Amino acid sequence: MYQYDAIDHQLVAERVAQFRDQTERFLNKELSEQEFLPLRLQNGLYVQRYAPMLRVAIPYGMLSSNQLRTLADISRRYDRGYGHFSTRQNLQFNWPKLEDVPDILAELAEVEMHAIQTSGNCIRNTTTDQYSGVIADEIVDPRPYCELIRQWSTFHPEYAFLPRKFKIAVNANENADRAATQVHDIGLHIKKNAAGEIGFKVIVGGGLGRTPMVGVTISDFIPRADLLTYLEAIVRVYNQHGRRDNKYKARIKILVKALGIDEFRLRVEEEWKHIKNNESTVPAAEFDRLQSFFTEPEYQTLTDNPSNLTEKLADSTGFSRWFERNTFPHKKAGYRIVTLTLKKAGQAPGDATAEQMEKAADLADKYSFNELRVSHEQNLVLADVQQDQLVDLWNDCKEAGFATPTLGLLTDMICCPGGDFCALANAKSIPIAEQIQAEFDNLDYLYDIGELDLNISGCMNACGHHHVGNIGILGVDKKGEEFYQVSIGGASGHDASIGKILGPSFAQEEISRVIRKLVDVYVSQRTAEEHFIDTYRRIGITQFKEAVYAKAN
Amino acid sequence: MQKLIKDGAIVDNQYVLAQNDDTVPDKNTIVAVDKWLENPSAVAGIWLNSDQNPSLLKDVDLDQFDVIGINFPAFVDGRGFTYARLLRERFNFKGELRALGHFIPDQLGYLLRVGFNSFDFAEDVNLESALKLHKPFNVKYQGDANDPRPIFLRR
Repeated sequence: MYQYDAIDHQLVAERVAQFRDQTERFLNKELSEQEFLPLRLQNGLYVQRYAPMLRVAIPYGMLSSNQLRTLADISRRYDRGYGHFSTRQNLQFNWPKLEDVPDILAELAEVEMHAIQTSGNCIRNTTTDQYSGVIADEIVDPRPYCELIRQWSTFHPEYAFLPRKFKIAVNANENADRAATQVHDIGLHIKKNAAGEIGFKVIVGGGLGRTPMVGVTISDFIPRADLLTYLEAIVRVYNQHGRRDNKYKARIKILVKALGIDEFRLRVEEEWKHIKNNESTVPAAEFDRLQSFFTEPEYQTLTDNPSNLTEKLADSTGFSRWFERNTFPHKKAGYRIVTLTLKKAGQAPGDATAEQMEKAADLADKYSFNELRVSHEQNLVLADVQQDQLVDLWNDCKEAGFATPTLGLLTDMICCPGGDFCALANAKSIPIAEQIQAEFDNLDYLYDIGELDLNISGCMNACGHHHVGNIGILGVDKKGEEFYQVSIGGASGHDASIGKILGPSFAQEEISRVIRKLVDVYVSQRTAEEHFIDTYRRIGITQFKEAVYAKAN
Repeated sequence: MQKLIKDGAIVDNQYVLAQNDDTVPDKNTIVAVDKWLENPSAVAGIWLNSDQNPSLLKDVDLDQFDVIGINFPAFVDGRGFTYARLLRERFNFKGELRALGHFIPDQLGYLLRVGFNSFDFAEDVNLESALKLHKPFNVKYQGDANDPRPIFLRR
């Protein structure tokens, strides 16, 4: 993974010193609440319902075991012994003290981590596929490109006070989009042109929140050398013309929609004309340098399907379920990608205790070259596991609570922290997740239902990506009471779509019944090959609606 | 006389900012760009509001101005950061580029990097304290108004 050099270290150190000074001035009342707000947000610090929340960046999801141990240690000494992995490859601490944050940042800096631009109206952490570099069907490894964007966007002097937050995600795979790139402000799809040159299809104006939209293509191919000047042109147009009078209409998606993609593209091209080929054009040597950080580990020469694996698959239903759901094919013979699920019943989705973080770090050391990844679905990934060690790893995972064999199934929910922690939330989301986990606790049934993304957000800010869940649940406030609106038909991959709202919202205790009704309709209507989303797309919303709102008689 | 920070020092403000129609512009006045475009005259300079893009000035010889001001109606309105870069990098303005209005001392690092060199803070800002923040980080990844080379041309 990327290693800081003296320049990267110095920049993060100067940031820590700057934030320490800002925090001191705020606590001494030299800096007003209003002035401190955007400054602390640009360092990932929210003031939440019960305590501040600190969001730490895990750039494009790459995490060393050493970094994860530091996160565990920080959670134990400065927080309540756990952290929450978010949908955008960040880790959130829910209970730090404001005055401790500078010390936390200093400790993070020692392991090349930071909280820079994890919030605020600026360019956020760049995200990508958690399987980058280890799957056979990617066009190229997207991580060097993510690192290039990370550096370009970090402390960009022109774009620290944009109209609204700005998120970029990168995909390098035609068969799957695991980073929800089409619902980002900018989605980049790495591709090769006919001449074999690497470039990007650029998608702009996607986003969730109050007005969910799937992005539209602004360019089919931008050569990689021109990536930064092209991004610069887009963000510059947005910074000048994005709405600043209403925060709910300030995202780039609203500007793109208002102008129309053709007019927006014209403006970007007009701007680009002036800066294309300037000093920010990336030389091939820089791509080579960045790629040199993402070389293959020392793989052994192995063959697929070693006997201890095939025997266990034949013997143990539990193991074969876990193998089927929670592991993924690796580009190298004899290796497998393994997801450590953070979706155990009784645990908030994406939460990991300090002990779990340390355990995961130990597993990474033992099985996967000391590295992990964090996924958009709020799980951890060991990218390079030998197939002949899968049985041992499975046993270790079971002991640590990482083996819930439900990856991609209904109970592998994406969920925000919700009203239990978040000051913005209208409603709690974690009890909803628990209710659904309890309702669907039969693994055979879950397997029969098959792949189904269920996403839960506690409010319109949509941190739980409810719009793009096959089933989405949104917390709403009705005269001071917590209700839940349910939508179906959303998707976040290459077939991205925004879900449709079923109808009137439901009381908390009704949710598991509603989900079961929706699943029943799918099960009764599906063909042999169809997942939930396919059936929905074929038959439409009506039958689902009727089943859910039918009067009990 | 009101003080401001210019080129890293606290100095007297030698110009008068014309904020309403009554001021008769002279060589000491910084006049609103729309007023000046209606009636071009010899002035110290002009100032842009945050909804007035520098492209308004594309046919104007900027060398006639000693100073161009950019107003920040609120410190979170970041349009002025782009305008400053455009004035420096696209329109090659070499004179004094002055931040006006409600920007805050903690933005100085970024403001310096996009090309501002003078800072007319709101009255309640302590300039001595602000001066301590008058310094960008010692390292930076991007090119900017002072040095167009990104980090990959400097590593």
